[in-house]
Amino acid sequence: MGLLEPTRQAFALLLRGDPDLLRIIWLSIWLSVTAIILISPPSIALGVFLAKRRFPGQRVLVVLVQALLSFPTVVIGLVIYLLLSRRGPFGSLELLFSPTAIVLGYMVIAFPILVVFTVSAVQGADPRVFETARSLGASGRRAALTTLWEVRFGITAAVVNAFGRVVSEVGCAIMVGGNIDGLTRNMPTAIALETSKGDFAQGIALGLVLMALALGINVAMAFLQGEGGLK
Amino acid sequence: MSEALFAAEGVARRFGERRVLDGFGLNLARGQGYVLSGDNGSGKSTLLRILAGLETADAGTLRFQGEPTLLPSYPDDWRLHIVYVHQHPYLFHTSVAANIAYGLKARGEAREFSRRKVDEAIDWAGVREVAAVPPQKLSGGEKQRVALARAKVLAPQLLLLDEPTANLDADGRRRIMDLLARLFSEGVTVLIACHDREIIELPGVRRLHLENGKLS
Repeated sequence: MGLLEPTRQAFALLLRGDPDLLRIIWLSIWLSVTAIILISPPSIALGVFLAKRRFPGQRVLVVLVQALLSFPTVVIGLVIYLLLSRRGPFGSLELLFSPTAIVLGYMVIAFPILVVFTVSAVQGADPRVFETARSLGASGRRAALTTLWEVRFGITAAVVNAFGRVVSEVGCAIMVGGNIDGLTRNMPTAIALETSKGDFAQGIALGLVLMALALGINVAMAFLQGEGGLK
Repeated sequence: MSEALFAAEGVARRFGERRVLDGFGLNLARGQGYVLSGDNGSGKSTLLRILAGLETADAGTLRFQGEPTLLPSYPDDWRLHIVYVHQHPYLFHTSVAANIAYGLKARGEAREFSRRKVDEAIDWAGVREVAAVPPQKLSGGEKQRVALARAKVLAPQLLLLDEPTANLDADGRRRIMDLLARLFSEGVTVLIACHDREIIELPGVRRLHLENGKLS
């Protein structure tokens, strides 16, 4: 089968604003943004803490968080599935195959990305930032916030990377969301499903949206970073 | 006789086997300008950073306005009155005015008051013509002047300056010298660590020399 016809159909779906397609796109973005908004503050705070404080076991904790980065998302999905399944410890909450379950999975996936990027950004900050703030009379908390502001491009990169990872994630979303039409079917799971059925048009259309989203986010980040970004 | 503002007793600091500060004493009188000279690596910067609470010492007592503290503890409220300016000052990624306003904001000063003070400080440091330039694009001398304005605007009881004219071109150096002379004439208590002979020989300035961990 040629690619031309399904691609033409994909553009037609996008141009006429196919309601099913729009619903899937909206759900994907909504779930990803919700997860990132919920997990970013504690992850960034933990990243700052790990970067600035010295305590026994700190190195082990950093290595553990780094190890989470390379965990297959399908394994994360499996663990959450077991926790939320009827016989699992949180089965009574009846969250399995719900948007909430996907958000939980996304939060777990985004967590190590946000922490590790924040640790790296804060550790890479010029040590004079904190000292300058303190010597100008700032409290330790204000000086830490000033440091965070000075490395905001690194933090933005962390958030954007985490968003990019979860919005295109498929393994965990299928396991804990169940790919239920109108409820938990998002862009990556829909692409997987439609392709397996041989319906390439919707898959290509959603793939184009995902790629446009990735491009748009990166262009926006480069614009936001201005001259403070990558040289 | 002028009133004692800051004193240090028995301050010691060791890096490995090397004793950089060897239990020396120091007395700074209110309104007096001091220059601290010494060879490279003699511990001038370390001393300034200890006085500013940015670095700890192994032993010693500091006394500010009569209030003592046993090192390594350093009262947080001293930072509101003792300001340190780095040899290569760091300017935050914001505007020149916001940099100068930083300490005022940290002290919770009213916006109108801060705006007026920042405006005066911009004129004092002669940085009006570069006020719209992103701080990271300023020359070394301009950065140093903004850093001095940022410190001066806080009306500190004690100003600690680390090599303020190091690595500056002739014009940058001359303009910093003018500001230092004005600080001295305005009665600000200043301790400057430097090698610069012109600063060391400024009239009315008391000279301190750090050698083998001792002050003379």
